Amino acid sequence: MTTAYCPECDAPISLEDVMIGEILVCPDCGVDLEVLSIDPPQVELAPMEEEDWGE
Amino acid sequence: MDETDLLVGLLRHYSPTGQENQAVTYLVQKMDEAGFQSFVDATGNAVGILGDGPNEIVLLGHIDTVPGEIPVHIEGDLLYGRGAVDAKGPLACFTTAASRVGARPGWRIIVVGALAEESDSRGAKGVLNEYHPRFAIIGEPSGWDHITLGYKGSAWIRYRIEKPMYHTASGKQTACESAVQFWNSLVRKTNEWNESASRVFDQVTPSLQAMHSTRDGFAETAELEINVRLPPAISPENLKQEIEWLRGEGTIDFSDSIPAYRGEKNSALVRAFLQAIRAEEGTPAFSLKTGTADLNLVAPVWRCPCVAYGPGDSSLDHTPGEHISLTEYRQSIQVLTKVLDILTQISP
Repeated sequence: MTTAYCPECDAPISLEDVMIGEILVCPDCGVDLEVLSIDPPQVELAPMEEEDWGE
Repeated sequence: MDETDLLVGLLRHYSPTGQENQAVTYLVQKMDEAGFQSFVDATGNAVGILGDGPNEIVLLGHIDTVPGEIPVHIEGDLLYGRGAVDAKGPLACFTTAASRVGARPGWRIIVVGALAEESDSRGAKGVLNEYHPRFAIIGEPSGWDHITLGYKGSAWIRYRIEKPMYHTASGKQTACESAVQFWNSLVRKTNEWNESASRVFDQVTPSLQAMHSTRDGFAETAELEINVRLPPAISPENLKQEIEWLRGEGTIDFSDSIPAYRGEKNSALVRAFLQAIRAEEGTPAFSLKTGTADLNLVAPVWRCPCVAYGPGDSSLDHTPGEHISLTEYRQSIQVLTKVLDILTQISP
């Protein structure tokens, strides 16, 4: 089983059937995580959402 | 295709809304030279197509700008000119990246330089039913390492009230006072909606744009022109229903409106951007814009993964000092080239 660990709370995150770049939600602390690599398993806090003027 | 020459050329063809023809002709010619099948479509948009097949990627930029010509010149890394960020920089980025990727089996990459984004979006409306993309990217300045997921909606409201004239000492409410009362009620109502919305993107934000009043001795009228920026949770129809009861004896006319749009993060398109930005050693971020763009118009119709992307600092939109960093412009071309490369390797 491919498992990464949440950088926020260290919860195990299964990386079965996911893609690089996919956004997952940590089941324990609820943060958004981006899958950076499957082998080796690696996740990181997902990109922040910023507000901006523009049209 | 030299990316700097292309952008400088586009900027030198000053093209405020309604005067885009020469810039369109220029872009069509440059795309033709780069191997696109290029033409001016029935609406007047510049279009260039690479490849053939059942899958389309539409790169929809706009070629018009707001008025106010800025002499085109380069100072160090900065290129000045009207439209440098909004949005000829993104459009030139699209054209260059597509030309670098070239034709891919099973895919049509379509670059559109659309007319009139700064007014009635007739350029984007003209291509709505022409294409059925699997992925769409709208050309607006997000910054090379940012991906714009959404824009707020917008509704234009005209409030009008007419009353017979009374003596000023009568104590009766005048048309002007009724109009002010309507505005104050609208602000109170939107404040209620916004109590639980911490981000501006999620708030309803009214803006009083114009006030007019007349009196001819027998009757008086008062009119307000109001723009309301809408979050995804409140559609123009919701707004209309919610404020109907505020109008009193006045009338409310909704002249033009478009709902907010917020795209999904978990799409093949966003994943491709995340990979491509990281490959260029950037730290990707998502943007939610409090303005409105052609993304709002096309995304609900095309119903495919859509984002807005392009180089440039959107705080320079519509300003007299509009300019773009050429380094950032080239970074965005690298990112988009990789994005198109990733997307066209997805099995058709």
